[in-house]
Amino acid sequence: MDARLESSAEAVTRMRDCLNDLVGIMALSAHWTRGDRDEIVSTLLDALLGTLRLAFVCVRLNDPEGGPSIEMMRVVEAGEGTDLAVATARLGLQGEIGIVVAGSQRRDFPAPTERLVLDVAASQATIGLQQKEVAERRRAVEALHERDRESRLIMDTIPGLVAILTPAGEVDGVNNELVEYCGQPLEDMKQWGTNGTVHFDDLPRVIQVFTQALTSGDPYDFEARIRRFDGAYRWFQVRGLPLRDKPARITRWYVLLTDIDDRKRAEAGLRQAYGHLAEAQRLSKTGSFITDLLADHRDWSEEAFRIFEFDPTTSITLQAIRGLVHPEDLPVYDAAYRRAIDGVGFDMTFRIITSAGNVKHLHAVGHVMEEIAGRPVFIGAIQDVTAGKVAEEALNRARSELAHVARVTTLSTLTASIAHEVNQPLSGIITNASTCLRMLDANPPNVDGARETARRTIRDGNRASEVITRLRALFSKKEFALESLDLNDAAREVIALSLSELQRNRVAVQSELSDDLPSITGDRVQLQQVVLNLLRNASDAMVGVDDRPRQLLIRTEREGGGHVRVTVRDAGVGIERQGMDKLFDAFYTTKSGGMGIGLSVSRSIVERHHGRLWVEPNEGPGATFAFSIPANLESITDAAGFMRTS
Amino acid sequence: MDTRSLVSVVDDDESVRESLPDLLRQLGFVTQAFSSAEAFLASDIVSETKCLILDIAMPGMSGPELQQELMRRRQEIPIVFITAQSDDTIRPRVIARGAVECLFKPFSEAALIDALNSALRMR
Repeated sequence: MDARLESSAEAVTRMRDCLNDLVGIMALSAHWTRGDRDEIVSTLLDALLGTLRLAFVCVRLNDPEGGPSIEMMRVVEAGEGTDLAVATARLGLQGEIGIVVAGSQRRDFPAPTERLVLDVAASQATIGLQQKEVAERRRAVEALHERDRESRLIMDTIPGLVAILTPAGEVDGVNNELVEYCGQPLEDMKQWGTNGTVHFDDLPRVIQVFTQALTSGDPYDFEARIRRFDGAYRWFQVRGLPLRDKPARITRWYVLLTDIDDRKRAEAGLRQAYGHLAEAQRLSKTGSFITDLLADHRDWSEEAFRIFEFDPTTSITLQAIRGLVHPEDLPVYDAAYRRAIDGVGFDMTFRIITSAGNVKHLHAVGHVMEEIAGRPVFIGAIQDVTAGKVAEEALNRARSELAHVARVTTLSTLTASIAHEVNQPLSGIITNASTCLRMLDANPPNVDGARETARRTIRDGNRASEVITRLRALFSKKEFALESLDLNDAAREVIALSLSELQRNRVAVQSELSDDLPSITGDRVQLQQVVLNLLRNASDAMVGVDDRPRQLLIRTEREGGGHVRVTVRDAGVGIERQGMDKLFDAFYTTKSGGMGIGLSVSRSIVERHHGRLWVEPNEGPGATFAFSIPANLESITDAAGFMRTS
Repeated sequence: MDTRSLVSVVDDDESVRESLPDLLRQLGFVTQAFSSAEAFLASDIVSETKCLILDIAMPGMSGPELQQELMRRRQEIPIVFITAQSDDTIRPRVIARGAVECLFKPFSEAALIDALNSALRMR
């Protein structure tokens, strides 16, 4: 073969090899699109090293996000020579994806066929890398859409009203709940600033907060009334959060609206209830508290602060209260405190002296509400009872003054009564003595007359003496001598003693003494005094009665409830209903000769026996006095009671 | 002193009714005692009485009420009140109403005679 034939045959061979290489590279297309960018680049490097005789091959990839570029290189065992021929190919039309650099020790590198293989391989790699990028972009977009769908789902399913605003504050989207609540389409909601969606009274404040937030980009949180589809306004808590992208630009505002109307109403109700409570506490001057004594953790009402006159901005401590307690009341306070620590409730009255110097009487009541970690927690109230105490003291003063006046009055009335009682017989004595003297001085002396008047003098003297004795008996403080006695016997004795006087007054006595009367416990002499007094009163009441029998009935009988009753009925002048109460007052009398103390003393004796004494007018003429006492005066322990009623 | 004048005594106290008439008789008066104002008014000696010794406090009609009643009847009998009540305001009251005197029990014979003299002088 000649040289030309030889060279053309070589050229054909080279062309065939080149075609084979190209086919091989094109056949790698499955590799170009598989795996990630690193794999694609590896494929490119391997293909070039496999088809071309190269000293090295290198790929530089630009980062699509603008980050640092990536370089990958393959180097073949270096030969003797150091001169290298280099060829480059762009990845991407403008080389925007990267660049491929191949180098060979052959001077003729790259031959046209090598150039062709390099370019085709670079194109294939570009296609693979571009597809990869497109796929990634699509995935990213899909992911974005998915996120949007999820957001939308969240927006529509969260129990609240949600709006999405543009950075300029325009309503861009709302969730279903908000649409249903407002009952207006999105287009109308964009006009929220003017169409009454927000309550007119709240609007200026809302706009101010909203505008400020849009300017500053800070989250906001406010409360406002928002109109429902039916026109009713409800309170909402409105919270806005800015959503920012990478360069921290606000892309949207998410706004969550929470219905707090019920809470608001509850709060208002609570405020009102608290207001009423505070007012009630003020009116009743009662403060309330909840306190854990040991931890000294407590909750005192406003009124409690007012009562102690503490500054409402400070806190009340038990130590501070103790500092106010009146020194005389400290033992009581401390004792109650010590018991309270053991969980014993308290109910006490003590005095405090406030820092302003006011003395207050306080009534404190507390009981254990619960136990926390074994420590009692008390709930209680503290009331300012100063006014009541002061009134009570004033009343006590008035009472003792009244008692004093009454004593003085009693004394003067008593003196007058005694004087009257004594003056009557004294008058007789002096007159009789004068008569006696005159009879003796007569000529001849009237001795018989003088004797008679002297006798009358003695009689009147005795009468005066009796008056004194009676008074002494009446006012001497005899001990209450209890014994078992038969009231019938006691009554019979009194009747027997009085019989002559009664007969002298032409009074007919009739006794009806019960056969089954139980024996009773009492003071025999005192009860006999009562019976005697009733008999005398009855007799006196009939002194002026001449048109009918002067009938006196005394009766004893057993009563229900273990009582016995004594009744004395007369046919005298009777009593008037309006004067009945006064009958038993000391020194009230309808009798010229009486002192008006008999019935008063009688009643006090009966009351000392835990009984009662009363009077009622008869159907016919006269009146009936009666007393009823318990048969068994078992426990007369109430000695103080006796003092009061006697 | 006209010792034959009729002096009536009205008092619910028995010892006064016993003792005072005796003394009056010793003083030379004719006398009669009544236990109540009503009894005196019911008697037939009202117009003959030259002086009335009258207790103030009595059951039924009191002394001052009898004084009023006599004035109403134009029976102007000089009255000497007697009383056991030591009340200083009584005397000026009854004297203002025309009583001759008001004696407080117990009174002396001399006081009684002075009062009777004054009463009988008025007639």
